[in-house]
Amino acid sequence: MSGDLAGLVPDVATLQRRLDETDYLADPGLASALFCAVRLPQALLLEGEPGVGKTEAAKALAAVLDTTLLRLQCYEGIDSAEALYEWNYPRQLLAIRLAESRHHDLTEADLFGRDYLVERPLLAAIEHPGPRPAVLLIDEVDRADDEFEAFLLELLAEGAVTIPELGTVRAAQPPIVLLTSNRTRDLHDALKRRCLYHWIDYPPLERTVAIIRRRVPAASTTLAEQVGAAVARLRSLDLQKPPGVAEAINWATVIGLLGLEHLDEAAMGQTLGTVLKYREDVDLTRERGLAWVAGG
Amino acid sequence: MTDPSGAEISGIDLAAVAGSFGQLLHAAGVPVTPERSGRFARAVALAGTAAVDDVYWLGRVTLLCGAEQIPIFDAVFGQVFRGVADVADRRGDPNAPPPPPARRRGPRPWPSRPGEVPAAGGAHPALLSPGGAAEGDSSESLLAAASAEERLRAKDFADLTPDELGALRALIADLALAAPLRISRRRVRHHRGRLDVRATLRRAHRGGGDPVEWLRRHPKQRPRRLVLIADVSGSMEPYSRAYLQLLHGAVRGAKAEAFVFATRLTRLTRALATTEPNVALRRAAAAAPDWSGGTRIGAAVAAFNDRYGRRGVARGAVVVIVSDGWETGDPAVLGEQMARLSRLAHRVVWVNPRAAAESYEPRVAGMVAALPHVDAFVSGHSLAALDALAAALRRP
Repeated sequence: MSGDLAGLVPDVATLQRRLDETDYLADPGLASALFCAVRLPQALLLEGEPGVGKTEAAKALAAVLDTTLLRLQCYEGIDSAEALYEWNYPRQLLAIRLAESRHHDLTEADLFGRDYLVERPLLAAIEHPGPRPAVLLIDEVDRADDEFEAFLLELLAEGAVTIPELGTVRAAQPPIVLLTSNRTRDLHDALKRRCLYHWIDYPPLERTVAIIRRRVPAASTTLAEQVGAAVARLRSLDLQKPPGVAEAINWATVIGLLGLEHLDEAAMGQTLGTVLKYREDVDLTRERGLAWVAGG
Repeated sequence: MTDPSGAEISGIDLAAVAGSFGQLLHAAGVPVTPERSGRFARAVALAGTAAVDDVYWLGRVTLLCGAEQIPIFDAVFGQVFRGVADVADRRGDPNAPPPPPARRRGPRPWPSRPGEVPAAGGAHPALLSPGGAAEGDSSESLLAAASAEERLRAKDFADLTPDELGALRALIADLALAAPLRISRRRVRHHRGRLDVRATLRRAHRGGGDPVEWLRRHPKQRPRRLVLIADVSGSMEPYSRAYLQLLHGAVRGAKAEAFVFATRLTRLTRALATTEPNVALRRAAAAAPDWSGGTRIGAAVAAFNDRYGRRGVARGAVVVIVSDGWETGDPAVLGEQMARLSRLAHRVVWVNPRAAAESYEPRVAGMVAALPHVDAFVSGHSLAALDALAAALRRP
């Protein structure tokens, strides 16, 4: 099984090429990080500005490995019933009534068996049958609370989870775990200790253009270059929410949908709302001049 | 970090280098564990590469645990692997000296002796504890403080002697800073609330399967996040030390987020998170290079909003700003940024120690710009006045 992974991902350059084939353009840094996550194997903590492609990286990795992506979106108060497993109570009650009416014997072991277990993403990742391990994306882990972080540790350290009624479920193939964080609070050291770390930066201009070309095939080279350059100029302004890669892709898509060929001042006026999400940012940009952003 | 020459590292044992490289990084202030060094060595072996750029990324991914460590890593890596120093010299030498300070950016290692002032680079001596009070005499000063507590309580922080400041620490530690409660999404067992099916059915097994006793869960109450942002510029210097102790107490006791600023904003939460106050204050002094500099409050609040507040640190939180409002930048910027902050935060409390003077009127341009966006304005110049701050925080 690990031989299989070694075949798919023999070195960093190959992984980078394979990611490229799934239309995800990773720089050498991110490719190295994903390589280590797959081959060591070790959980990987990804941080970066919103919209630089943290979640997309996990999707692309799952596509490269041709395996399942399981995603757990964290939020405050998330607990094991939502992250790990839940018993199917209506079904259990139904089984009890049925057994009574048919005078069957029903043991507790029957009721707390696999048939009545609802798998949530963490358990599904552990129990993933293969042939290759699942990619488990734990998104925005900083939104969950300390209690949940502590609960994640067992999973990361042991590749196992404990269900009181069933015992410990150990993964035949521990999932490849990617965590993302927006840094709203410091994660616990114990969690960080178990993770590799990578900070995803905004890609440089050429890479942004290449990504737009890849993700929006309908866009012409000129349009992709204009959008890439405009986004770079917008980032140089002191904006509250500088546009990320996701915004650049949206922008190119929208301009295509409107049937416009070039990103000139007029087109920009119509579509500024796809890249800037604060009124103050729009005001600031208009003050600086749309012509300047358009490169005129 | 592209190396156009495509340089390769050859003729050396990478695993051995990985170990000593980790130690160098550690000496430069990145907490590298042997576990991480081991990961680095394994990653290099797995990747089967000797290209410097590849090793750079493998090292960065395996050895670091935060974005703030990247500049230090870059400096040390450049020194070891990019020909600034001879790699072979480092091999097998566990006592290799740390790189010279000039190459180092970011936090410097803490001085080893308590009370020792970090070398050049800006920590202000006045911020450090008086003579690095040793463990033994800190308990004595505690006793003295108890008898003189009443006198201390009313005294302006600016007039305190170093000894009194030391005594103040214990009193500040007792001050319970707490933000108001909010309803959490997490539910706990309670006699009323939503039915907890899982627990009810498990309990039912005890009594033959009939759910006689219904168990319920009710949303838990949690304190709101508390964020303290203190001005440590020159004009606030008489108060900085007392407030740093308050920050330390709040980080330890109320799990607050702590920031300081003069010309730029520094997050101190990590530096202050240790129990030992002397160590915490020394770390804090070393982490923020701009103690007693000029004040750019607007820029600092903007940095807070952009880097932390908007991402969630300030959302629904109680934000306390400690400053005299002496803005050297454009007051209009401060007004704008305070408006942003007040939209993000649940409450904004402004503490101005200068406001205690009888003749005080908020005439300073910065203060005038900020006040419309502040929910409570307190003086907090003495321990007694800090009670008013604590009360302002607790207000829902």
